[in-house]
Amino acid sequence: MLAIFKRELRAYYQTPSGYIFMSLFLLVGGVLFAFGNLVSLSSQFTGFLGSILFMFLLAVPVLTMRLLTEEMRMRTDQLLLTSPIKITEIVLGKYLAALFVFVVTMAITILYAVVIAIFGDLDTSATIGGYIGFLLVGCSFIAVGIFVSATTENQVVSAIVTFAALLIFWIMDAIQNGVPTDSTSGLVFAAAIAVGVAVWIYFSTKSLYLGGAVVLLGAIIIVLLVLFDNSVFTGFIGNVLAWFSLLKRYQDFTRGLLKLDSVVYYLSFSAFFLFMTIRLIEKRRWS
Amino acid sequence: MIRAENLTKRYGRHVAIDNLTFSTEKGEILGFLGPNGAGKSTTMNIITGYLSASDGKIFVDGLDVLERPEEVKKKIGYLPELPPLYPDMTVIEYLNFVGEIKGTAKADFRSSLEKVLDVVRIGDVRKRLIKNLSKGFKQRVGLAQALIGNPPLLILDEPTIGLDPKEIIEIRNLIKSLGKEHTVVLSSHILPEVSAVCERVLIINRGKIVATDTPKNLSHRLSGKSRLSLRIDGPAREVKSALQAIPGVRDVQVQKSTEESAVDVLLEAEQEKDLRREVFLAMSKAGHPILIMRPMDLSLEDIFLQLTTTEQEVS
Repeated sequence: MLAIFKRELRAYYQTPSGYIFMSLFLLVGGVLFAFGNLVSLSSQFTGFLGSILFMFLLAVPVLTMRLLTEEMRMRTDQLLLTSPIKITEIVLGKYLAALFVFVVTMAITILYAVVIAIFGDLDTSATIGGYIGFLLVGCSFIAVGIFVSATTENQVVSAIVTFAALLIFWIMDAIQNGVPTDSTSGLVFAAAIAVGVAVWIYFSTKSLYLGGAVVLLGAIIIVLLVLFDNSVFTGFIGNVLAWFSLLKRYQDFTRGLLKLDSVVYYLSFSAFFLFMTIRLIEKRRWS
Repeated sequence: MIRAENLTKRYGRHVAIDNLTFSTEKGEILGFLGPNGAGKSTTMNIITGYLSASDGKIFVDGLDVLERPEEVKKKIGYLPELPPLYPDMTVIEYLNFVGEIKGTAKADFRSSLEKVLDVVRIGDVRKRLIKNLSKGFKQRVGLAQALIGNPPLLILDEPTIGLDPKEIIEIRNLIKSLGKEHTVVLSSHILPEVSAVCERVLIINRGKIVATDTPKNLSHRLSGKSRLSLRIDGPAREVKSALQAIPGVRDVQVQKSTEESAVDVLLEAEQEKDLRREVFLAMSKAGHPILIMRPMDLSLEDIFLQLTTTEQEVS
């Protein structure tokens, strides 16, 4: 894993992508800080963090678009997958390298906080919380990016799809507010999820029985819920979508709150996408 | 070293390789021969654990590739069809990386690195970026990559593709010398290559093994009979009757020759019979000097065409 990590890190600075990421991030970050804090004489640092969070949407695809895409395009995946290292090590090595570049870039912005602390009044706990949240959101975004990079051999496609996926996570809150909240639509949505899962299982296992069993199980659960606790379906769509909202939980951190469930949420979100990446590569051997 | 049992790989409905069973001995150079798309690369990818077979099992040194992948992969050096190179690394950085992911101990790596650089002759370009190297040098770096860690089994997929004739001869000699210490499996669709380098040939067509033997036996077995090509000074009719009188001759075809007063003869003997001495004596007795005499074995090329085309006709 260390070998993969080192090579990937070196690759970031042998190709332009590392420099593009850092300069893009720091340039816009610097401009925002200059105008948002210095010129307007504001010591509101969490506001600054919140606004450069948006930069992630653009910067993370630059960071992750190459990761597995390039291995497949150059056929170097043949070298990696026929070496005595595990797929998990390959994926984690690359993930950690991307995360490392991200953390280093982020660490540079701590200078801004220092500037505020010297000349103004820094809300220390909110700033630390903000950075922890920042790190966790970064972990999640990079995990999504590495997953997307494993699906295509084209870097441009990889970057655009990653950007689109992150954008959807970004606007999840807005979507959530617009969806119907009545119990009937919640019921339909739950049924659709059950069918969707069943279809996915059918296509990945080619077993009609297993797919049927999932539909049946879903139907039983839905019927039981309808009979005993109909209120679950009120606002069901919104609640499900909220689960995918990466930003909502970030707000807690900027208030200086370190909530365990949010930390667990971000970490499991990242772990899920990393796991899917590993599975995807593994599955390709069998296809 | 390798034992493949009923190896099958299906892509949806398409069967890439169909029920392959073969094995190699330690220290053998085995050649996979077949037209493009016959399933050579697929088979190699399965041996190295890059792909998994839909059916069947494969053992390397008695270990199942699926059950103990890490141990098996340590024993294999693999050069895929396209050498897996990182263009933005220098040769030495790349080989260092390969040593690291192969888990070669630092001390072993350093001692073997110089040897590898020397063997494939890339010592002079070690500090250059891989993207700036010529095709031939890239291929060599790929080969060096396979040799790192001195694995007992080398799998080389079309190792001489895209090289110039001088390089091809160099690489072939290199593979031959590697065969002294390693078990080598190589694939090719170029026939002279396989007959020049390999001790045993496995002809694959449309995912099936159509023949396996030494190049020599293969050519012998498939011709089934020995033939002689002759040029004899003398009138056609007399030559023909004198030849037909020799016991063991099955067929004589006489043609006009480019040389004046001589004829070209194609003589077919019965199964495995060497008639050169008899022919010489008979012609000498008849007073017709032999100008040329050459035994005609089917070349590997003939066999290959014969096998792969009949196979296609059947299916």
